[in-house]
Amino acid sequence: MWKQNIPLLIMLGPIILYFLIFKYAPMFGLIVAFKDYNLIEGAIKSPWIGLRNFQLLFNNPMSIDIIRNTLLLSALQIIVGFPFPVLMALLLNEVRLKWFKKSIQTLVYMPHFFSWVIVGGIVLTIFSQETGIVNVLLERWFGYTYPFMYQEASWITVFLGSGIWKEAGFSAIIYLAALASIDPSLYEAASMDGAGKLRKIWHITLPGIRPTMILLFILAMGRVMEVGFDPIYVMQNAAVMDVASVISTYIYTMGIQNGQYSLTTAMGLFESLVGLVLVVTANQIARRFGQELW
Amino acid sequence: MRLSRDERVLSIINYVALTLIGLSCLFPLMHIISVSFSGYNAIITDQVTLWPVGISWENYDLLLQGTDVVRGFTNNVVITVIGSALSMLATILAAYPLSRSYCIGRKPITMAIVFTMLFQGGLIPTFLLVKNLGLIDSYWSLWFLTLVSAYNMLIMRTFFQQIPEEMIESARMDGCSEWRILFNMILPLSKPVLATLTLFYAVHYWNIFLGVLIYINDSDKKNLTVMVQQMIQSQQLIAQLGKDAFDVNINLTPEGIKSAGIMVLVAPLMIIYPFLQKYFVKGVMLGSVKG
Repeated sequence: MWKQNIPLLIMLGPIILYFLIFKYAPMFGLIVAFKDYNLIEGAIKSPWIGLRNFQLLFNNPMSIDIIRNTLLLSALQIIVGFPFPVLMALLLNEVRLKWFKKSIQTLVYMPHFFSWVIVGGIVLTIFSQETGIVNVLLERWFGYTYPFMYQEASWITVFLGSGIWKEAGFSAIIYLAALASIDPSLYEAASMDGAGKLRKIWHITLPGIRPTMILLFILAMGRVMEVGFDPIYVMQNAAVMDVASVISTYIYTMGIQNGQYSLTTAMGLFESLVGLVLVVTANQIARRFGQELW
Repeated sequence: MRLSRDERVLSIINYVALTLIGLSCLFPLMHIISVSFSGYNAIITDQVTLWPVGISWENYDLLLQGTDVVRGFTNNVVITVIGSALSMLATILAAYPLSRSYCIGRKPITMAIVFTMLFQGGLIPTFLLVKNLGLIDSYWSLWFLTLVSAYNMLIMRTFFQQIPEEMIESARMDGCSEWRILFNMILPLSKPVLATLTLFYAVHYWNIFLGVLIYINDSDKKNLTVMVQQMIQSQQLIAQLGKDAFDVNINLTPEGIKSAGIMVLVAPLMIIYPFLQKYFVKGVMLGSVKG
C-alpha cells in the first residue's frame, strides 16, 4: 500500500505545494481587506482597522453603482444568453445532412477560441460610427448613422450580443450530447400517436434535456458576480461608464493602477463571498432536482 | 420515411436559420480580413464589405515595419509553448494520482483543489503575492498563476479513471513502476484528452491579456494580445507606428492597420483549429460528466 503510494505522492507533492502557494496563500492575503495596507510594513505587519474598508465601500455611491452594474450586466448575460445554446442545439439536432451540420458546427464553435481582445476589436471595427460597416450600410440604405458604442442601451445590447456570438455555439455542445442520449423509441411512439415535429420537441426533446438545462442554469447563477474583466475592458468607453464600470475593472484601476490595495481587496472579498454564497445556494436548489454538483 | 408537408417546411426553415447563424459567425471575420487586405483608397471611401477591394499587402507591411508586432508575436509564442507544456505536465502529475483509488488522501486533496474553483483570494492578494515573490516582469508570473486549471484536471482525471483497472493491474504484475504505467500506458491511451487540454491551455496562453497587463511592465516583454488591444483603443495610431511610417509618407488608415493586427492574432488560432476540432468536442462532453 505505502510502496505503491510513494511514487504517487512524489507526483502530487509539487502540485500540493503549488496550490498552497498560489491558490491558498492569496486567500490568507485577504486579511489585507481588514488592514490599512502600506508597502513598508507589508500584509502581515500593517495595522488592523477592522471593517472600515467595507464601511468606506458601502457608504460610497460610486461603489454601490459599480456593484449594481456588475449584478445587472451579469444577470442580463445569464438570462438573455441562456436560451441561445439550447436553440442552437435543437436546430442542429434536426439536420440530416452530415456535411452541412459539420460546416455549421465548425463555424459556430470558432468564436469561442478568440480572445476578447479579438472579439472587441471586431466589434469596435464593425460598429464604429464613422467607418464601421454597420453604419456605412445604414447610411447607404437609410441615410442615417447611429452611435452604437456611445449610447447606454445600444452598448449593453452590443455587449450582450457579442457574448452570445462568442459562446452560444460552443455551449451548444453539451446540449447536443444530452439530445443524443434521448431514447429514439420515444419519437417513434409519438409519431404513431400522430404527433408533429413541434409537439415532439415540446413533449420529448425539451423534457429530455431539462436536467442539463437546470444544471447549466445553476452553474451560471453561481457566476453571477463575475462579469469578466476582458469583455468590459475592451468595449467600454467614457460615454458609457455609468453602466460599464464593474467590480473587476474597478479593482484593476483603483487597486493595481492607483495602489488602493486595502479598499479593492475588500471589494474583491465581497465579490468572492457573494459568489460563494450563490454557488452553494444554487447547489442546494439543484439537489432538489437531483442535479447537485457535490 | 417520407416527410409530411409541414415537416418539409420546418426542415427548410431550419436549414435557412442555421445558414444565417453560420454566416453571422463568418461575415464579421471576412470583413476584417477584407479590410486588412484592402488598399488605402478603398478603405477611406468605405467600399469594403465582404471582399477585399484593390488587394494589397500595405497594411501588413506597415504593421510589421512600424511597430513591435514581430516581438509581440514571438512573446506570444514563447508564453504559449512553454506555458502549455508546463501546464500539461502539472495537470498530468495531479490527475494521475487522484485517479487511482488506492491513492492516500485522494478525496480531501481533490476537494481542496475543487474549492479553488469556488473561492479565490482575488486579484489584489494574488498581485501582492507575485510582487513579493519577485515575479513581476517575468513570464513565470503568468505560468504559475494558471499552471493547473482545476476544471481541466477534473476532465483528465475522469478520463484516466475510465481506463480499465485490470490493464494497469497486469502491467504492475509485470513489474512496471507507477511512472512507467503513467508514461508508457496511460498517456498513449489518452491522446484525445491530451489533445483537447493542450488546445485549451494553448488558447488560454495565446489569449492571455489581464495577466500581462498586470504583471508585465517591461514593454519588450508585452505580448501581441496586449499590443493589439492598445492599437485598437488608440486614437493616435500614427504616433505609435513610429518614424519610419512618416518618412515613407504612405497613406495609411487606422482601420486597415487595426484589422491587420487582429488578423495576425487570429491566424495561428485559425490554423490549428481545424486539426483539433474532432478532439475538443469529446473533451467538452467529458467535462460535463460530473464527478
